[in-house]
Amino acid sequence: MRKKKVTVLNEAGLHARPSSTLVKTASGFKSDLQIEMYGYRVNGKSILGLMTLAAEQGSEMELIVEGPDEDEAIEALIKLFENKFNRE
Amino acid sequence: MSKSTEQVLKDRTLLGTPGAGGRAVGSPVIINSERKAVKPEKISEDRIADETELLDNALDELVNEFEGLKSINDEEDVKEVVETQIQLLCDPELKKSILGKITEQRFKAVFAIFSSFNEYIQILENSNTNWLRDRTIDIVSIRDQLIDTVRNKQPDYIKADDGVIFAEELSPTEMIKLSRFKLAGIVTEKGGLTSHVVILAQSLGIPCVIGVDWKPMRPDDFDRIMIDGDVGSVMFDPTDKLVEDVETYNKERLKKQEIALQWASEPDLTECGSSFTIRANIEFVSELPRIKTHGARGIGLLRTETILFEKDGFDIDSQVAFYRQVAEAAGDDPVTIRLFDAGGDKLPENHEEEHNPFLGWRGIRMLLDKPELLRKQYEAILRVSADFKGKLQILVPMISHVQQIQQSRLILEDVKKELKKSGDDFDPEIPFGIMIEVPSIAMMAAEAAQEVDFFSIGTNDLTQYMLAVDRGNSKISNLYQPSHPSVWRVIELVAKAAKKAKIQVSVCGEMASNPLYAACFLGLGIDDLSMTTNSIPAVKEMLCSHSLKEFKEKSNQVLRARTYEEVDSIFQQWKKTLELYHI
Repeated sequence: MRKKKVTVLNEAGLHARPSSTLVKTASGFKSDLQIEMYGYRVNGKSILGLMTLAAEQGSEMELIVEGPDEDEAIEALIKLFENKFNRE
Repeated sequence: MSKSTEQVLKDRTLLGTPGAGGRAVGSPVIINSERKAVKPEKISEDRIADETELLDNALDELVNEFEGLKSINDEEDVKEVVETQIQLLCDPELKKSILGKITEQRFKAVFAIFSSFNEYIQILENSNTNWLRDRTIDIVSIRDQLIDTVRNKQPDYIKADDGVIFAEELSPTEMIKLSRFKLAGIVTEKGGLTSHVVILAQSLGIPCVIGVDWKPMRPDDFDRIMIDGDVGSVMFDPTDKLVEDVETYNKERLKKQEIALQWASEPDLTECGSSFTIRANIEFVSELPRIKTHGARGIGLLRTETILFEKDGFDIDSQVAFYRQVAEAAGDDPVTIRLFDAGGDKLPENHEEEHNPFLGWRGIRMLLDKPELLRKQYEAILRVSADFKGKLQILVPMISHVQQIQQSRLILEDVKKELKKSGDDFDPEIPFGIMIEVPSIAMMAAEAAQEVDFFSIGTNDLTQYMLAVDRGNSKISNLYQPSHPSVWRVIELVAKAAKKAKIQVSVCGEMASNPLYAACFLGLGIDDLSMTTNSIPAVKEMLCSHSLKEFKEKSNQVLRARTYEEVDSIFQQWKKTLELYHI
């Protein structure tokens, strides 16, 4: 299992399109992705789950990745957060 | 405490109003009860697999649809929006939640979808973030698309064969769709005795019970439903013995019908030798064989709304094919084609709603506003008349003003002129008549008679307009009294006007199907009656086995009656003196 704390850097927060990009990226891996924020945990491959987080700019969350390709997966996800989901 | 078998059966029986006679056993088919609202309907364990399959198929179908949308769009923004929609449909948590509701809580797929989506929607709506609240609109839309897709996949119409239909109410359009199947029976929650559903069920010979509060029984949970349209009962999971009884009963009923059908081949003469004519009211092609077997002399009323409701109804070729098929089935006998009588309760689904459809834009009122539709129908009838000269007649519905007769006739003459110009053959003398169903035109019958070749009295609408009673409204259906003295008197007035103008007059409403009323029409001098084919043998038996003198006596009594109750008692007493097979 790999864990990593990340911050939402996008100005608009983790809104629809970043959520979509995140789901798309996570779904490309076999490993499960859980995202925990303020003690609330959602499935990172669930777009509705991500939306319910209502994560705004500056929100901190923990990525929890577990599975056969967890190393590649967490690297890709961290990069995504750092690159502001390839936007802006 | 164990219940007696009798009590168990009683608990499993619902009572309603008999709509159309006959008994049958079939499996439950629920129709449109959830079209308006999604209700928390539960399913039995053996339906779980079916419901999850419905869900999977609907998800696949919608995802494919969106993938298709994505592939034909080059705009990146559009692609992203569509991608998000696909992600919603593929959301693993959402699907888990829906499946749980189906398999564990045993909800129908439609409700499971509705409820699972709503849980998310509620969270998002309560969010402080604006963009999230806006997203809920998209999510609601996906939810509804998915529900619609599941519903279209529901085997409502596919499994209707041998099914007992359960509906809140059925629109004429739905009845038409259903008429393609061999239904065992129809159970509705709403609707009056003379609603379209009942009339159609009678004409198709399908047992029908109306006014049944069936929803709490959850018919889906039962395998077999026994419907008795004679007493108005619906039994869930009847015993084998009862099912057997129904089979025996149906065999006997068939035998009785055969005996009654013997009247079909008798000459159309009263006991004293005066002649009459009985014709058939026809709406469906499937009824055509009964013209011959039930002894109808042609078709007194061909309803054409079915074509209107079918997809390409306005197309001249499909109309021509339909009229031709009907004319051929009638053999040497005439066929009276009533123009599209859409409106009121027969509104096609795509129309705007009217506050008072029965007093609204229907029949000739609609046709005169849509002359292209009227012209097409005239053209189709005229084209068919070329091969059936002297056989086809045109009947115009819902005439309330004399000017409407002149206007619709002008258009007919214009269509004739055009056909002549293009060298097409038709019957130039094709008789042109009107329905007498609105009191205003009935009162002006003498003037109207100068403008037309024949009258056809539509007693159903005439009764409801005379008494101002909506025949589909079960709250006031006791006031819907076709044999109210006012109705008899206005019919007499119309008959006299027709006689004076020497034009043909007939009755094509449901009243003519009642053997005693039919006899009274003969007494009033109306010897041309048109009715559902199933009623013909009984009416014929009555008319053949009595004399015109008796009919005249009765009709005179009826015309003198001061109240509906007086008329009713005349008929009740008369009935007692008769030994008829059917009444």
